[in-house]
Amino acid sequence: MDINEVLRYMGCPPEQAAPQTRALAEQAAAQMEQTARPRSVFRESGLSITGDGVLLESGLLLPGRDLARHLAGCDRAVMLAVTLSAQADTLIRRAESRDMALALALDCAAAALVEEVCDRLEGEIFAKYPGCHFPFRFSPGYGDLPLSVQSGLLALLDAPRKIGLCANENHILTPRKSVTALIGVSREPVGRAVRSCQSCPGREGCQYRKSGGHCGAS
Amino acid sequence: MELHKLLEGNKPILLDGGMGTMLQAKGLKPGEPPELAALTHPDWLLDIHRAYVQAGAQIISASTFGANREKLARTGKTVAEVVPPTVEIARRAAGDQALVALDLGPIGQLLEPTGTLHFEDAVNIFKEVVRAGVQAGADLIFIETMTDLQETRAAVLAAKECCNLPILASMTYEANGRTFLGCDVASCALTLEGLGVDAIGVNCSLGPGQMEPMALDFLKWSTLPVLIKPNAGLPDPETGGYDITPEEFAQSLARLVDAGVKLVGGCCGTTPEYIRLLAQAVSDRTVPNLPRTVPAAVCSGTQTVPIDRVRVIGERLNPTGKKRMKQALLDGDVDYMLDQALEQTGAGADILDVNVGLPGIDEGEIMVRVVKALQGVTDAPLQLDSTDPQVLERALRVYCGKAIVNSVNGEDGVLDAILPLVKKYGAAVVGLTLDQGGIPKSAQARFNIAQKILQKALSCGIRREDVYIDCLTLTVSAEQEGAVQTLEALGRVKEELGLKTVLGVSNISFGLPVRPVVNQNFLMMAMTRGLDLPIINPNIEAMMAAVRSYHLLMNIDKEAREFIAAYGTESSQPQRAAASASSTRSLAEVVEAGLRGEAGPAVDALLETTPPMEIIDGILIPALDRVGARFEAGKVFLPQLIQAAGAAQAAFEVLRTHLAKSDGESVSRGTIVIATVKGDVHDIGKNIVRVLLENYGYRVIDLGKDVEPAAVVRAAREHKAPLVGLSALMTTTLKSMEETVDLLHREGVPCKVMVGGAVLTPGYAKQIGADFYARDAKQSVDIAKEVIG
Repeated sequence: MDINEVLRYMGCPPEQAAPQTRALAEQAAAQMEQTARPRSVFRESGLSITGDGVLLESGLLLPGRDLARHLAGCDRAVMLAVTLSAQADTLIRRAESRDMALALALDCAAAALVEEVCDRLEGEIFAKYPGCHFPFRFSPGYGDLPLSVQSGLLALLDAPRKIGLCANENHILTPRKSVTALIGVSREPVGRAVRSCQSCPGREGCQYRKSGGHCGAS
Repeated sequence: MELHKLLEGNKPILLDGGMGTMLQAKGLKPGEPPELAALTHPDWLLDIHRAYVQAGAQIISASTFGANREKLARTGKTVAEVVPPTVEIARRAAGDQALVALDLGPIGQLLEPTGTLHFEDAVNIFKEVVRAGVQAGADLIFIETMTDLQETRAAVLAAKECCNLPILASMTYEANGRTFLGCDVASCALTLEGLGVDAIGVNCSLGPGQMEPMALDFLKWSTLPVLIKPNAGLPDPETGGYDITPEEFAQSLARLVDAGVKLVGGCCGTTPEYIRLLAQAVSDRTVPNLPRTVPAAVCSGTQTVPIDRVRVIGERLNPTGKKRMKQALLDGDVDYMLDQALEQTGAGADILDVNVGLPGIDEGEIMVRVVKALQGVTDAPLQLDSTDPQVLERALRVYCGKAIVNSVNGEDGVLDAILPLVKKYGAAVVGLTLDQGGIPKSAQARFNIAQKILQKALSCGIRREDVYIDCLTLTVSAEQEGAVQTLEALGRVKEELGLKTVLGVSNISFGLPVRPVVNQNFLMMAMTRGLDLPIINPNIEAMMAAVRSYHLLMNIDKEAREFIAAYGTESSQPQRAAASASSTRSLAEVVEAGLRGEAGPAVDALLETTPPMEIIDGILIPALDRVGARFEAGKVFLPQLIQAAGAAQAAFEVLRTHLAKSDGESVSRGTIVIATVKGDVHDIGKNIVRVLLENYGYRVIDLGKDVEPAAVVRAAREHKAPLVGLSALMTTTLKSMEETVDLLHREGVPCKVMVGGAVLTPGYAKQIGADFYARDAKQSVDIAKEVIG
């Protein structure tokens, strides 16, 4: 795992990290990699762009303008879901009652790890579409795509059964260290911005980021 | 046809095959809810059920897998609209050829602690389905494809509490023998057999070959009929097809019938053809009647502890004689309890006793809270310790696994009140050898009480292996002849009744010098007489050393592996002492450098010369202020701020213990209630805030996450808190924050409200009526200083 990434999530510029902080990040990354049980599932869907948003072939509407704009030129998208599983949450919870600095580091290590798992999965997905182009993966909560689409996406992916990933009544993913996203597939080149806090629409208002943390919702 | 007759016979019982994959083959579109098939495609359902009955299935499952109100919410239909026609179609197809099972699958939301769904809500969701299914004529309940043992328990209790139908229960495992949520076969088997299901097993996820080890484990860990319903092998990710032919499938399952599996069928990818060949393959077989005895064992949802050697029960989660623990209970400081729990399991405790009985608190409510919190952080099974049957029942209800109930005694009233609870929830029970006449002096009289308790337990349907007897330790300085009687009774209970034994050891040495020596030797004597479950403080190294030595000398710890792992690199004890002795840093330096391990010793040293409040105001807080200022200036970062806070927290812990002992002044500058709002599960930010506030000497009542607005109001009133802090991370839970602020205002609670969290802005905070917006943890301290001082 990239320790600098963990440090960044911890709100600590890697080049200024005290040795003690770096050691903490390394310890947390090792524990998290050992404990997490990453699982993932993905599935392709045809799509059409309508006045209301993006309509998947199953009939699920992903409302709003931002995703529709993002997927311009794509006739298909791959839906994906990734989770580090309940064991990652338990590890963080266990640290929270004893050592909050370690808990923070574990939380950030999990955020970095889930991104890494997504990146790897994305690589696999790209390989299935030779010659195609992909805008960055787009998750519920970005722009005006509401979190309320989570349960519909999870159902289409059969994610509760296949990887044990659910959403609660407020559309929060549980286990917590999880991601759902769509990757558009286009035959024509698309602009592919890097997907991170940098491109997160919530960036400006995000106090977690300003205070040096990461939302963990990715 | 009756299920009980089938289960009693020696012939294998045929279940049906896949439903979801069959509906897809008929043309059900991706995303189309299969639970509505009875309304949208009744002819398809009828065809599929009939094909299974014709293939030889003796039990078919109605397509009610997802027909609960949570999953149906997306469809706009209700349980009452969906379940009856779905069961009726199965009924029609079954005729008098097959039994119809009401099928219960997962709710689709995770329960606490991973999710936010409360246990009783899960029970009620299942009850609604069960009532509708029973009314529509189901013959039995089939709970299947579960990954969470707690959710499975909720379904079983729901079924048991609203009908008398037989229950089959099955979970789904990965190839490593655990479910997604970490439940293993032994824990599942012990827990569900304890709850009184009629058959138990495994379905979905895997093919028959990979399921074999799990099926064998179920045979080992339960005496119930075992069921398996594998997939048709593993799915091909490209085509969605499965890789095992009906012939291979039938042959694999036939071999498992020979091994003792009683109910066989198929899950995803299997078709009537699979079931037809399976019926042929097993028709002339009988299920061997194996001698099956399940050893004494307890478990959590993720870990089984067989009582096949000395197992240590940690005694520290108990306020008796512990002022710091009393204070934690009064403050609702669950984290202190969790810390004590993890310290004990780290030191070698296998099981944790939990006692929260204290005048002035709602024992039942705190017990539930502590049990739930413990389950979120430890795999160790729990021993639920209370004299109040209502408290025990509440704890047993939320406890996921097979608990130990501590305790009953020889009094009829106690036995009659508590043993039925032990039976209902499938726990083990500690029987104290005392009765209305007190603790008998003689070993014989104690043995007689043990016998009585055993008989009563057996007559309640509790198995012999689940009765543990405590022959009671008396203080040897008061009654010197008592120790011998205890050991004598213990030996006889073990030998003549064949029961497991429990004993609290430390009482033996009250009033004597060198207590640890007496305790250690008494423990060794008791183990030699057959003590299985010593209740001790595992943090005292001499006690754990005795247990480890016993296992070594009795040839239980093979090749001395555990002994060498514990002591091979010299004793860890002197090393720790050396580390603290070598510290020459001042407390201020320790805090600023975030050296948690050195904080306690540094405070201890200071306490010899300096009053506690002077340490707090003169050293700790200025040190924290300096770190805080450097944080604000961007010279140090969040991890260092928290590490400094962690060191200060360790220092405070020593001060609190010191003050609790001396009954002196409180270190509190004022009380702050904090909570992560209803629906939200992201609470690490709030927890960071708590640590910082505590370090500045505020008493923080932390209500946890997913907290109802009314609970915040109640706590703010009860603790007369001048400041309430609320956090929310997601846009979807800001509404709950607004509701909470609103309720505090409407109820006229005289407090200020500060809010914080990722998606909040100062503007929004103002809009929802909060008094303060906290940008980060440091600022929450500034706000507390402004409001409280």
